Amino acid sequence: MYKDNQEGTTMEMEPAGAAVNVVEMSMQQALNRALMETLERDPKTLVFGEDVGRLGGVFRITDGLQAKFGSDRVFDTPLAESGILGMSVGLAMAGWHSIPEVQFDGFAYPAINQIVCQIGRMNYRSRGIMPMPITLRVPSFGGIRAPEHHGESLEALFAHVPGLKVVSPSTPHEAYHQLKYAASRPDPVIFMEPKSRYWQKGEVDLDNAGERTGSAVVREGKHATLVAWGAMVSRCLQVAELAAEDGIELEVLDLRWLKPIDAEGLAASVSKTRRAVVVHEAPRTSGLGAEVAAIINERCFRTLRAPVERVTGFDVPYPSGDLEDEYIPNIDRILFGIQRVLEYRRG
Amino acid sequence: MAEISFPLPDLGEGLIEATVLEWLVSEGDQIERNQPLVEVETSKSAVELPSPQAGKVVKTYGEPGGKINVGEPLIVFEVADDTAGIVGTVPREEAPKRRVRLSALPDDED
Repeated sequence: MYKDNQEGTTMEMEPAGAAVNVVEMSMQQALNRALMETLERDPKTLVFGEDVGRLGGVFRITDGLQAKFGSDRVFDTPLAESGILGMSVGLAMAGWHSIPEVQFDGFAYPAINQIVCQIGRMNYRSRGIMPMPITLRVPSFGGIRAPEHHGESLEALFAHVPGLKVVSPSTPHEAYHQLKYAASRPDPVIFMEPKSRYWQKGEVDLDNAGERTGSAVVREGKHATLVAWGAMVSRCLQVAELAAEDGIELEVLDLRWLKPIDAEGLAASVSKTRRAVVVHEAPRTSGLGAEVAAIINERCFRTLRAPVERVTGFDVPYPSGDLEDEYIPNIDRILFGIQRVLEYRRG
Repeated sequence: MAEISFPLPDLGEGLIEATVLEWLVSEGDQIERNQPLVEVETSKSAVELPSPQAGKVVKTYGEPGGKINVGEPLIVFEVADDTAGIVGTVPREEAPKRRVRLSALPDDED
């Protein structure tokens, strides 16, 4: 790594080993650190929600924040999601950036009116006078054996709302940088945290955020592209590893931003591999996989060797813990999807 | 590490307080779930309260002879961060299992 010296004429090498600031941590720690640094950076930032203050959050994402920043900036709210998001709207009008937490994805439903009718529209309605700098953290998706309402996959619902941006990190590095990025933006961002990945550790390069917008190819391959986000990215990477044993090289695309979707990144990958399988936990009908398939059709129709395959949850309510292994796409269902695009023959 | 506090539970029959008779664990002890924590006496009976979870005891409230109201802090545990969630479990990383093998080799001639 280089640093400018004051003369501006020469570059000076830093001592080896001191330059790279890479730390291994869990996604929970990464998110906690991102919130800590955001609260330090911007005194107009507030964190609030159910149990985020004194308890530190049921997933401990806000652990220690109230002790450090005080109960004026990090505080518990009543058990009322429409109030939590309604307060965010008022605070945004008064110039505050709020980072509210909805404790579980299924608890976002009572706040839908505020999210759709106010947060998504206020900037448009006010002709840009009232932006809504709100980063709504939503512990999302299944995989932790939770009861009903504690595991849902709401990305299609949020992505359908004009004015909202939607992102889901897949690793601690992504979580750390994506939360800091979202919390520095003037736009409302629905930040979907894959709760089954909170405790898995990974390397976080603290200094090098990398590109924050668009998608990311997390494994290169040539026979088909697996498109996924959130917790399904790591599962698709496992599948790619297994497919390699059979001589099939899969590319894995972490979509990252679910609104706006990186159409060019999708097209670049699928133009190369000519086959695509999109994987998500949400029900199949009108899921985000349909949007992904449509974009691929629009951009890659002539090069596609097979219809885009969807491997998804079923058209039933997201089940509670006992049934989630039957519901969430597993390795075999994803492999079947890949088999279908590989053996498809035109004509 | 995270700390979890447990209050004196509702002992039933409309009782609102209990007197500590004897603590069966000490601060610093590593204890198991369901291990007897404390013997308390209500106006009805003396009962042993089992531990709601495993963990290291950080603090106990109430000396023998002292009263604790239902809902007031009884004991604080230190637990690993990843067991501190109150809903659900932490998924364990397992080696991926498969039954499906890929057979079709892509034919990309044209």
